[in-house]
Amino acid sequence: MLVVVTGGSGSGKSAYAENYIDMAAGNVQKYYIATMQVSGEEGRRKVERHQRMRADRGFLTIEQPVSVEIALQKMKTGKAFALLECMSNLAANEMFGGDCIKPGKEVFQKIINGIEKLQQELTCLVIVTNNVFEDGITYDETTMEYMRVLGAVNRRLADMADEVTEVVAGIPLTIKSGGVR
Amino acid sequence: MKLIIGGYAQGKLNYALQNYHLTEGAVTDAALPEENNGQTVIIYHFHRWVRACIEQGKQPEELIRDYLSRNPDCIIISDEVGNGIVPLESFEREYRERLGRLLTEIAGQSEEVVRVICGIGQRIK
Repeated sequence: MLVVVTGGSGSGKSAYAENYIDMAAGNVQKYYIATMQVSGEEGRRKVERHQRMRADRGFLTIEQPVSVEIALQKMKTGKAFALLECMSNLAANEMFGGDCIKPGKEVFQKIINGIEKLQQELTCLVIVTNNVFEDGITYDETTMEYMRVLGAVNRRLADMADEVTEVVAGIPLTIKSGGVR
Repeated sequence: MKLIIGGYAQGKLNYALQNYHLTEGAVTDAALPEENNGQTVIIYHFHRWVRACIEQGKQPEELIRDYLSRNPDCIIISDEVGNGIVPLESFEREYRERLGRLLTEIAGQSEEVVRVICGIGQRIK
């Protein structure tokens, strides 16, 4: 089961995704695959805020800023639910995290391969991604290439997914349905 | 309480005036109106008011909670500003994040939430 949750900044998409997995998982082990690389005070505050929101909910956090399939090695075997947050950070880390900027196609393929491996092993994978596409600004070519990669990843994930939900002002809107909950 | 959101220049005010049978006299632009004494008022460009509050070091969250507790008959109209590349400037990030969370909170309390695109309102709550 693959679920994709999208939305803008402060839209409540994280809270929705966490509630979703909480309800769906029951007593099955829940993992939180965190892709954000923490730097600076603001990043630390954001992480702490998310950690508070997950507190007492039984999530085990795995920090995995690149190569998300490695997260499987840090999980116990058997049934597991995982929440991966956030695809926009993962794409940025994969693209800009090395010594040089990687080509978009390579980044896309690496991410999709990693997600496919997670999907094969997990009972349910919920992926939070980000709607970064609607501010109408033409950025520099590198940023535009990043947006194209994230857009392509989002489209492929939505194609693979059983459910796609957009969260607007905390309200979940179904974009694609048909999965079994 | 009602919330109307959508992108820039999508016809949110027009939607509100037509659908709730109000006139321009009900509109307060980018500010909190006087106490409304049970009259329905429109708080237009809510996002600009939030931004100005943050710029002036005020707490828009507390101010609007306080106002709405005394004047629940409000229609709040705001641009959606969070659907873009996360800005490099920390103020811009804070503004987007705080506005998004505030709109989420207001949406939670509203009996109706409408998203306007191309002048057409989608009732999402």
